[in-house]
Amino acid sequence: MLLEATGVVQTFGRLRAVDGADLAVSEGEVIGLIGPNGAGKSTFFNALAGDRIPTAGRITFDGHDVTRASPDRHARLGIARTFQVPVTFTDMTVAENVLVGAFLRQPHRAAASAVVDEMLEFTGLAPMAHRRAGMLGTPGRKRLEIARALATKPRLLLLDEALAGLTPAEVQAAIGLVRRIHALGITLIIVEHIMEVILTLAERAVVFHQGRVIAAGPPRQVVNDPAVVAAYLGHRMAARMQA
Amino acid sequence: MSSAPRLDRHRVPLRAFAIILLVLVAIAWPALVGDAFYQRVGALVVLAAISASAWNLIGGYAGQVSVGHAIFFGAGAYASLVVYTQLGWPPVAGAPLGILVSLALAIVIGTPTFRLRGHYFSMATIAAAELIRLLVANWPLVGAAVGLMGPAAPRSVADLTFRDPLAYYYIFLAVLALLLALTAAMERSRMGYYLRAINGGDRAASSLGVPVLRYKLYALMLSAAFTSIAGSLYAVMVGFADPDSVLGILISVKIVIVAALGGAGTLFGPLLGALILVPLEEWTNAAFGGSGTGVTYVVYGAIILLIARFEPGGLLDLVGKLTRRRHAA
Repeated sequence: MLLEATGVVQTFGRLRAVDGADLAVSEGEVIGLIGPNGAGKSTFFNALAGDRIPTAGRITFDGHDVTRASPDRHARLGIARTFQVPVTFTDMTVAENVLVGAFLRQPHRAAASAVVDEMLEFTGLAPMAHRRAGMLGTPGRKRLEIARALATKPRLLLLDEALAGLTPAEVQAAIGLVRRIHALGITLIIVEHIMEVILTLAERAVVFHQGRVIAAGPPRQVVNDPAVVAAYLGHRMAARMQA
Repeated sequence: MSSAPRLDRHRVPLRAFAIILLVLVAIAWPALVGDAFYQRVGALVVLAAISASAWNLIGGYAGQVSVGHAIFFGAGAYASLVVYTQLGWPPVAGAPLGILVSLALAIVIGTPTFRLRGHYFSMATIAAAELIRLLVANWPLVGAAVGLMGPAAPRSVADLTFRDPLAYYYIFLAVLALLLALTAAMERSRMGYYLRAINGGDRAASSLGVPVLRYKLYALMLSAAFTSIAGSLYAVMVGFADPDSVLGILISVKIVIVAALGGAGTLFGPLLGALILVPLEEWTNAAFGGSGTGVTYVVYGAIILLIARFEPGGLLDLVGKLTRRRHAA
């Protein structure tokens, strides 16, 4: 297993946002994390990225216990992420943003710059290399976050709603990008609201509801699971659909 | 390698020309004015530029706005006078002691306060500086509230007590040149980008593998060391330090204003700020006489308001915007 989370609990005061979640991911998989709003998937995602130390449970990555490790240690071990609301370095250029990521594996500027060029080409941001990141629109920023994350040469990439807020055409372009990232051999965990994205990209969908994993399996199978339908639409609606 | 153009701007020749011109004017300044008053103003400009450029490392590049840099300035000033009063050494020999004390204080103050964000960090640094000022004002070894004096008459050249400001001007200029060269090198290195990334957002920076607390601490230590040198040089020139003149909040505020006026986070911003602010201050002091300190506060307040309201990036940013507009037109 590349990543293994067992019994992860995250409480905020009396709220149990994540309540004993398990997830095992093997190298090369594409996992879709889905669930209704407030299901705890983003909180769980942040625990995987090291942004929050879980209240209980254990997370290992490639044999290392990363349960309480800092975000920068996660990055060094090979876990990269994007943010739900993009947080680019707005006063730096697009290329400089990516350079920050590239410096993780290449402390020298010349070598790091070569990685930057490669990632800008890969994500299609090369024409905007010299623009200030603050000048980009939402699709550009999301793409920049991906480029920056890839520059750290991750083995696992966590995408937090990287496709939300995009137009249908932009979604198609982004799906193509995610496919090419997977083709590089990078394992992916995707949090996404758009079901189409999960159905086309994910090999396995994991459904969160009220802080727990209520279903897991091939996406098409999972979305027809009565428990999942009930979680999204409520029990009565689910019963009516069964009838 | 084809990678260079992606990161480098194309206005390099203009910039190189401006730097050469600046260096020539700086070296020739005392000869150009030929008057001790203006030479002294020149020395004070360079001294203010050293403190502000040192602050710029943590306050500008890394965006951690310390309003407590008087701590390090005072440590440097007191260290140079203490080695004279206690050991009879030439004051300049206290500079290394000031650096060591400042590095220790940077670690002690930075480690807990760097977990605070934005205004809370600034407020914590003010509190730390005031605390240290009060401690020093009640510590007999360093002269308590009265302060310390340097050698009244030079015992040897090592005392660096010159009647003429010329020598101080060139000593300060050498330190400033070293600091700016170091900053320029840092700007292009991993550390420079990491500090700017921290300024852009802690959370994003750490997700890319930047050890945020460690780099903030590196920047603060480097900043503290050079601010301490500025304090030592000041004490060597003035031959006097008391809690208000080297540890007062006005020192901390002035360092921030000089950097912010010219442009925080830019190589030459602090120098530009010093070139404007120090002569202005000398003028208000001359125009309003001994009662001028109150006026100085008013001028600082007005400058803070104007920068915050109209040009948060400082004057260099304004110049950059104007030239870019001309390029676009």
